[in-house]
Amino acid sequence: MASLGSSSSSGTEYIVRVPKNTSKKYNIMAFNAGDKVNCSTWTQARMERDMSARKIYGEEETPEGAAGSEFGKKQREEARRKKYGIVTREFKVEDQPWILKVNGKAGKRFKGLKKGGVTENASYYIFTQCPDGAFEAFPVHGWYNFTPVAKHRTLTAEEAEEEWGRRNKVVNHFSIMLQRRLREQTAGDEEEDESEKSTKKKKSGGRGSDLRIHDLEDDFEMSSEDSDNSGEDGEGKTKAKNETGKGKSKKKKNNDKDALEDSDDGDYEGLEVDYMSDESSSDEEPEKGKPSKGEDLPKGIDEASESEEESEEEKQNEEEAKEEEEEEEAKKTLAQTEKKKKKDSSGESDSSDDSDIEGETASALFMAKKRTPPKRAGGRGSAGSSRTGSRPGTPSIDSAATSNTLRAAASKLEQGKRQTQGPGTDSPAAKRLKMDPSSQSPAPSGKTTPQPPSGKSTPSSSDVQLTEEAVRRYLIRKPMTTKDLLKKFQTKRTGLSSEKTVNVLAQILKRLNPERKNVNDKMHFYLTE
Amino acid sequence: MGNMSEKGEVNLTGAKQSNGVWLVKVPKYLAQQWDKAKEKGEVGKITIGKKQGKSQVCFSLNEELTSVGAAQESDTPLKVPREHPFTMNSLGGQTLAVFSQGEKDEISLEGMVVHRAECRPVITDNYMKLKKVQMKESLKLQRLSQQLERAITTVFKPVANHNFNVEYEKKKKSEGKMVRAERQVVLDMLFSAFEKHQYYNIKDLVDITKQPVTYLKEIMREIGTYHSKGAHKSMWELKAEYRHYQSAEEEEEMQTV
Repeated sequence: MASLGSSSSSGTEYIVRVPKNTSKKYNIMAFNAGDKVNCSTWTQARMERDMSARKIYGEEETPEGAAGSEFGKKQREEARRKKYGIVTREFKVEDQPWILKVNGKAGKRFKGLKKGGVTENASYYIFTQCPDGAFEAFPVHGWYNFTPVAKHRTLTAEEAEEEWGRRNKVVNHFSIMLQRRLREQTAGDEEEDESEKSTKKKKSGGRGSDLRIHDLEDDFEMSSEDSDNSGEDGEGKTKAKNETGKGKSKKKKNNDKDALEDSDDGDYEGLEVDYMSDESSSDEEPEKGKPSKGEDLPKGIDEASESEEESEEEKQNEEEAKEEEEEEEAKKTLAQTEKKKKKDSSGESDSSDDSDIEGETASALFMAKKRTPPKRAGGRGSAGSSRTGSRPGTPSIDSAATSNTLRAAASKLEQGKRQTQGPGTDSPAAKRLKMDPSSQSPAPSGKTTPQPPSGKSTPSSSDVQLTEEAVRRYLIRKPMTTKDLLKKFQTKRTGLSSEKTVNVLAQILKRLNPERKNVNDKMHFYLTE
Repeated sequence: MGNMSEKGEVNLTGAKQSNGVWLVKVPKYLAQQWDKAKEKGEVGKITIGKKQGKSQVCFSLNEELTSVGAAQESDTPLKVPREHPFTMNSLGGQTLAVFSQGEKDEISLEGMVVHRAECRPVITDNYMKLKKVQMKESLKLQRLSQQLERAITTVFKPVANHNFNVEYEKKKKSEGKMVRAERQVVLDMLFSAFEKHQYYNIKDLVDITKQPVTYLKEIMREIGTYHSKGAHKSMWELKAEYRHYQSAEEEEEMQTV
């Protein structure tokens, strides 16, 4: 090719020297074109090796000698590694990346990674011109590519994935980092100045210190940044905000959550909601549980709905409820039954009253509430009589169906209500009910004959009365034990307390003087006519 | 600048002065020749000229450095070409800086790269020969298989008792059975051993104390605990009352047996 002689061209000659004794090692610091780095503008710079990789390479520190150490541990470990063929790469300081900090804390930071394979096939030399005109050539030992390090907070891989999943929902992406920072602040400094916190909207219950997987390089920065958290964040945040758009950032502050899309019409369609009803059925459930006559319960409710119709008959026959619980249950059950009635009979105008019932207390329930019981009563009375007439097979005991609390309660409440019409006093329900049989003007005729109250010895209510007649009937039919007899005359139905029932029964038995027979080791009474 | 720079502090004089340097890619053989340079370090000359508006740079190797192999012999057939024109390239926007690392890890910025160049030799027959030789050299395998002329017969003969075994038995015999030393003596040995390390294998203890295993185990059961699982598996450790690991110089308190 063209050989340049010094004579033919107007060139100048320079001597090239390769200094031998140089102790300095020359390296190349390469920056990307886009970063627009101008080294002459640097006022100050610091550069150190990034030793964070040593943690991986360095094995666990076991105490050597004295406490905690094992005899011959090192040898054993080495033998073990050889056995399994574990080859650990040495941690070479020479190959570690550089960390370059320019212009102090507020300036830029760069990380320089060593580029491999530079000196393998060709040598790079740095030619500098000396004052005497000669060139000096220095060999290049290493090539480091320096890239700027982001000083602003970035999302970790996990967080990034999370946000990616929400990208369709979240409109305002700028607030993502804000939220993250707020969360960290609440987690980090809980005892910090309230004033600081007040400036930014705080959300309690952030993520706290979750498990985060960082790149190791970040360890470097995390520790240093944590301490500056509150301080720098202010600046950093404002910086970030400015970069991302001022108007938006301001709005951002007012958002508690990331902005979500406006909901369109169909959005709530598939939602599951609690059962919505005017009458809160949830109230009923615990109350239903209370009348604990389990097996009778369904029957009770069904019959309770009819109870109003039949309550005519039973009203007079019903004994006052001695136990207060009964009344309360009654009230509640009546409320239920009322509702049932409500549902059945649409024409009733008592719907409002029904709903009122639920909310009211025991006493209030029996307070003056203008109802139309007469209408009801009347209607029911007739219906009831015909009704009961149409009940063929059921023994009278059952037809009265006061074997359970519900019906008794229902009917009693009916009575109570009726009473409000009449006396219209505010006397508590119990009293009223007790007075009921005695003072009540006989309501439209019921089936069973009302029996005048004649004292406690002779109960005046219900079909089942503890009378001599009744006992005789039973004993004629078949032999019974005292227990059986007592069962027949249940206290709730006769209106007597158990004690009284026993006494009365005993007296009756004395009078009757039935024959005794031992069946199955039990004493049975019987009569022969 | 005059005072000692802190560790990590970068000397920015070069950058401030914007010293322009060239980054030149030089072939390996040439670099090798340059290594042979004399004390002064002169390796050649650079000629910079203008030809048809473009600057031409050429490097000319000194005569004395042209011989490959033996020094100072220019009669050997192999010679390195002398003329090496430089190809000047632009940086392409990349910012290249040069920093140097001193012996004591002081870092200074030497300058900025203004030109990149590649040093290419003028292709001559000589050069081609040189390259051929080089290639042949590099093709040689590091590991070779050698054919043996005579098969080795000595190693695989069946042996009544291997050498290694024989030696082992001899050694065992000479040492004899381990004798039980005084209990106190053994305790002393144990305690001094446990001063150095906290956990020991029973075999190691036997090795250290030269006591029979059963005797040693007996003593150890008295003064130590055995870890059958956990971090220090199958290792013996002194009981808590016997060990003080906070200060190494504190003497162990021993219960007199």
